[in-house]
Amino acid sequence: MHGTGGATREDGASHEHGGLHFEVGQLTRVEGEGSLDLRVAADGTVAAQLRIFEAPRYFERLVIGRTPDEVLDIVARICGICPVAYQMSAVHAFEDLFEVPIDAAVRALRRLMYCGEWIESHSLHIFLLHAPDFLGYPSALEMAHDHLELVGRGLAIKKLGNRIVGILGGRAIHPVSVRVGGFSRAPRAHDLDELRAPLQAAIADAEETVRWAASLDTPRSDREPRLVSLRHPSEYPMSDGRIVSSDGIDLAPSDWGRAFHEEQVPWSHALQSRAADGVPYLLGPTARVALAGDRLHPIARAALDATGISPEELRRNVFRSIVARSVELLHALAEASDIVAAYEPPAKPYAPWKPRAGIAAWATEAPRGLLFQRYRVDAAGKVRAAQIVPPTSQNQAAIEHDLALFAPAVLDLPHEEATGRLEQLIRSYDPCISCATHFLDVRIDRDR
Amino acid sequence: MVTSAPPGATFLPRERFDALLDLLREGGRTVIGPMLRDGAVMLDEIATAADLPAGWRDEQAPGHYRLSDGHGPRLFDVVNGPQSWKQLTFPPRLPVATARREEAGGASFAPVPPDPPRLAFLGVRACELAALRVQDRVLAGGTYVDEDYRARREAAIVVAVECTRAGATCFCASMGTGPEVRSGHDLVLTEVDDGFVVSAGSPAGDRLLARLPGPRATAAQIAAASGAVAATRAAMGDDAVATEGLRDRLMDKLDSPRWAEVADRCLACANCTMVCPTCFCTSTNVHSDLDGTVNVAEREWDSCFNVGFAKVAGGNFRPNRSERYRQWLTHKFATWYDQFGTSGCVGCGRCVTWCPVGIDVREELAAIAPPAIPVGRTPPRPAAATTGRFDVATLREVHAETDDTRTLRLTPGDPALLGGLPGQFVMVEQPGFPAFPISASRYGSEDLFLTVRGAGPATAAVLATPIGGEVGLRGPLGRPWPIDRALGRDVVVAAGGIGLAPLRPLIDALLADRDRFGSILLAYGARTPADQLFRDELASWATHGIEVVQIVDRSGPGWSGRVGVVTNLLDQRDFARRPSVAFVCGPERMMQATTRVLRDGGIPAERVFVSLERHMECGIGLCGHCQMGPFFICKDGPVFSLAELGDLFAREGI
Amino acid sequence: MAAQRPPRVGVVKLASCDGCQLTILDLEDELIAIGQRFDLVEFPEATSRRSSGPYDVLLVEGSVSTPEQLERIVELRARSKLLVTIGACATAGGIQALRNWSSEPEWRASVYPRPEEVESLATATPVAEHVTVDAELRGCPIDGRQLLELLTALRLGRRPQLPDEAVCDECKRLGRVCVLVASDMPCLGPVTATGCGALCPGYARGCYACFGPKDAANTASLASWIGKDRSPAAVDRLFAGFTGYAPAFREQSRRAIAAMQPAPRRRHPKGEAS
Repeated sequence: MHGTGGATREDGASHEHGGLHFEVGQLTRVEGEGSLDLRVAADGTVAAQLRIFEAPRYFERLVIGRTPDEVLDIVARICGICPVAYQMSAVHAFEDLFEVPIDAAVRALRRLMYCGEWIESHSLHIFLLHAPDFLGYPSALEMAHDHLELVGRGLAIKKLGNRIVGILGGRAIHPVSVRVGGFSRAPRAHDLDELRAPLQAAIADAEETVRWAASLDTPRSDREPRLVSLRHPSEYPMSDGRIVSSDGIDLAPSDWGRAFHEEQVPWSHALQSRAADGVPYLLGPTARVALAGDRLHPIARAALDATGISPEELRRNVFRSIVARSVELLHALAEASDIVAAYEPPAKPYAPWKPRAGIAAWATEAPRGLLFQRYRVDAAGKVRAAQIVPPTSQNQAAIEHDLALFAPAVLDLPHEEATGRLEQLIRSYDPCISCATHFLDVRIDRDR
Repeated sequence: MVTSAPPGATFLPRERFDALLDLLREGGRTVIGPMLRDGAVMLDEIATAADLPAGWRDEQAPGHYRLSDGHGPRLFDVVNGPQSWKQLTFPPRLPVATARREEAGGASFAPVPPDPPRLAFLGVRACELAALRVQDRVLAGGTYVDEDYRARREAAIVVAVECTRAGATCFCASMGTGPEVRSGHDLVLTEVDDGFVVSAGSPAGDRLLARLPGPRATAAQIAAASGAVAATRAAMGDDAVATEGLRDRLMDKLDSPRWAEVADRCLACANCTMVCPTCFCTSTNVHSDLDGTVNVAEREWDSCFNVGFAKVAGGNFRPNRSERYRQWLTHKFATWYDQFGTSGCVGCGRCVTWCPVGIDVREELAAIAPPAIPVGRTPPRPAAATTGRFDVATLREVHAETDDTRTLRLTPGDPALLGGLPGQFVMVEQPGFPAFPISASRYGSEDLFLTVRGAGPATAAVLATPIGGEVGLRGPLGRPWPIDRALGRDVVVAAGGIGLAPLRPLIDALLADRDRFGSILLAYGARTPADQLFRDELASWATHGIEVVQIVDRSGPGWSGRVGVVTNLLDQRDFARRPSVAFVCGPERMMQATTRVLRDGGIPAERVFVSLERHMECGIGLCGHCQMGPFFICKDGPVFSLAELGDLFAREGI
Repeated sequence: MAAQRPPRVGVVKLASCDGCQLTILDLEDELIAIGQRFDLVEFPEATSRRSSGPYDVLLVEGSVSTPEQLERIVELRARSKLLVTIGACATAGGIQALRNWSSEPEWRASVYPRPEEVESLATATPVAEHVTVDAELRGCPIDGRQLLELLTALRLGRRPQLPDEAVCDECKRLGRVCVLVASDMPCLGPVTATGCGALCPGYARGCYACFGPKDAANTASLASWIGKDRSPAAVDRLFAGFTGYAPAFREQSRRAIAAMQPAPRRRHPKGEAS
């Protein structure tokens, strides 16, 4: 299709270097560009490599010499789907270093804004990107011919998420109001009133969505992933808490680097992250529900429990991520509704701050999982060095691992079907393409 | 000065202002008035008097607007904010028509009928009433009428407020539109200490006034109200724009090089036209649904500064900023007369304040189309001008400033001598001695102060006059310091030695209107500490909003300050940070050195003023002694800008 | 109109954040109607249907920043009747174009431990530097209303009504308070094209030029006014943003980038020197 293709791309499979070369067209309904390369050894074992060709944009370099508030505008541009997440990790990092006191009302607004992004991102993924896999359509637009109510419900929820970010930040994509210390401007009390009724309606719709997602027929998949997320004493993890894992990691949100590191693999433009032992780990809704499900809003918790899906099934079957995502969508709507109901404008929209030299580091939960940023700041507050670790580059190794496990079950299917199943698997992780990745092709090399 | 408050006016105590609001709201009317928002006073719905900006004042200058509070109980001390009433009479966006495509290929068109809100405009200033009159003429006074505008105007009650404070960018008095409210209102309020003098200007206003509770205003209240408005006029001055013949002067200057110069600064951002209360240009956009079935035409404010405004298929009639600026200025101040019989400018000052780079239309007009006589308050007619005729003044007091310098307090026989302006001078004569010029060093209410150094026989004779003795005075003469050029700007006053004397009335005038100027710096150099004039006042000025810095050539007893020359006080400063004006007086070499430093620091030559000293005898340009190049210093000066003097100033032997 | 076949529309991306094409999906109220009136034959972010052309209309997001993208945009142009660039990356190069003044290999080395494995051009450039562009939607991201206007105009066969005026026009129409005059915040609104709805002044901050320079932008005059109270470096940095590579902002951006270059030092992976 576009550029890199060999002669084999349209027909899918070929023999190369004595192995089977199996190719699928560009992965769609994900954001970003890359490819999947499957090498099948003679003994049937499969090695998967995600090739990420998303053009490098050098954000870690672009922020050097910039002030913290400039950084907030710049890192938003890493991703049009989750700009708030990039702003939140960065702003918390700077506020932690500069010891800026944050007004409780400002903190609530930040959480509301993050809820808005979760709602927008999760509903985009559930209804427009992922649902067509389960119902058998190339896109939500075609799906709308037969499932207008479902698509309409999804668009309405998505619109509400965008509206929340829009009210707080001016626009849903690359909002403009987040600044170190708070917001450039906080909404007046009645500015949030318009959200009340739509949130109530959306909560009911999201409850229905959880039931619907739980009812979907999923392929079989069974693995025990290592899970990582934030965990907070009382809140569902979003922008505060400690980094925990299913195997005992417990770190401050600034200390990600003590347990994890990034490395470059030759087949990808995105750096991969691994734990110290080199074992992949998984982030995102599945990890959060497993590690912090007891912190879900009661409405979301009840909806999850009512599905009857066991925690093991939810955790071990990668295709069940749509259920975890739906539960989180409901949670975000319910929490947003609570924040709107209790909202009193802060006395001042932002607290003043003074720069100081040091390391500013923080992790928050982007819709797709833990997003870590670390900045070395000089005494004038200018950034001297930066490290940005998006969730998808952390999930990359886990995706490869899961693909290798899953691939043998589909490689003997007709090519188109195998492609669809592999794509569906990859979509289950909601890879955020512009953050780290877009997958271009699936290539399978099979040794004979 | 005449204000509109007739003897039958009502007095509305400030604490009962809500009664007026209640009255205005009857019948479901919404009151719109000034309300604080985001650091400015904006037009918004006023529910109670508490919504009004009590105690707030504005500080306005070219490209600069700040509010501060704590100035007492007054509700209307803040003058115009960025929004004019055009916001409500001529909304920024308005659907005007709907076009539908019908099923069978037909089409239908329907205008959107006016549906004006019922409003009461509260706090309409005199300049705004003038702007409404201009809009009435433009939009509803010709062959074709903007029906929506007319409906909105007819549906609104207009409650005017007379200005008892003027902003530094206000120039309604120059444009002849204020500050007195004369017509176009239903009610008019004038704020005094405890409340408002309220009177009516229309039958509808009469009916409202009859129902407004409150006593009849007393004569004292009415006098206080008209006095306050008169004071506003006096503080503002009426010479910011020389309107006499402006149309022709401007149209004669379509090729002025100044258009290109102002275009270097102009951003063509359209802010001036958006805030202008009379600019009426619009464009129409069509909003269609995806199938083009329903198409709503919406009118929105546009501007002659925008690239698309004069575009046609083949190109753009005004591709350059200079052409667009010229279009705007000449339309507003010249061709508007041809089209509508009036100026398009009402002197509200918004285009000056809200220009993001502080372009001042008053200054541009003066530069592009200067009046025949220089801009500046017209000096009063001298008490006695004819050579040989002197008024007799009585010496009341002598104050020793230094060993050789005395300040004389004199009571002139003709009070016209007290109407002189800072920087003007008088000719002083005693029987038997030649006349000599002395600048006034202060104008008192009954006395004139002259500070004289005994430099020769004539000055020595004056200094020897006994208390109660008489001297002859002729004046005031010459061109004064152009204080209006300093409005809204930072001011640098630089004096050397006795040069402080002609600057003292300037300092008095600056202090009298302190909040109409930016920062004020006085840099004073003297030979020794003992040669300083007005030592007590230097300290007092420093506590009244003037930064006073001093230096002496040679130190002396008790001196702990700096030693050096005046330029040492100025050469580390950056005057380019805000628009600044400088007034310099002292020995000519001191003035040359000082003005060079000020120019280097970023003050343009048009805004550096010096007072020159020359031999004078007649003082009225008839004797020829003081000629310098094209100028007679006595009548064309003694105050000049460096731009006027050009290279004459630094040249020797002229 | 209804009788015609729906136009074949492609939506593709180069180097970008996906936010501009997401704006299409964010037209929630119109999305289904758009899907009925336009044949979205290529839009990998939203559909698994694929087409390599020809396209009646191709919307291109992102800047040209790899050798592969350079080849690809030329091919895409040849297969498109109308090519419309969407967003600051495609129309002005985007934030990544700020690398155009520095040493790209050095930047690559500062982000990637093994830079030789990363394919990248030395510059990130707007699409119009390489192929003819028929129309553009500006913004970082584009504005949904402008996008809808473009689609409507395409369908009705009229010229899209996209303003070329300063942010200030809209700021004043919306009754916002000028943050430059009233609060002394640096604001690029007077030299920036409107389209965002004067967003930033409405949120009590200065415009940072998402929509790029307006026609006849007097950058020098605004910079000198803002620079009265600020260092030249701070003023230059204002322009070195998402449209900093646009010609009217280029000189300021270039100086800003030069001033921000850290002193050369030995690098650890990821540019982390501590």
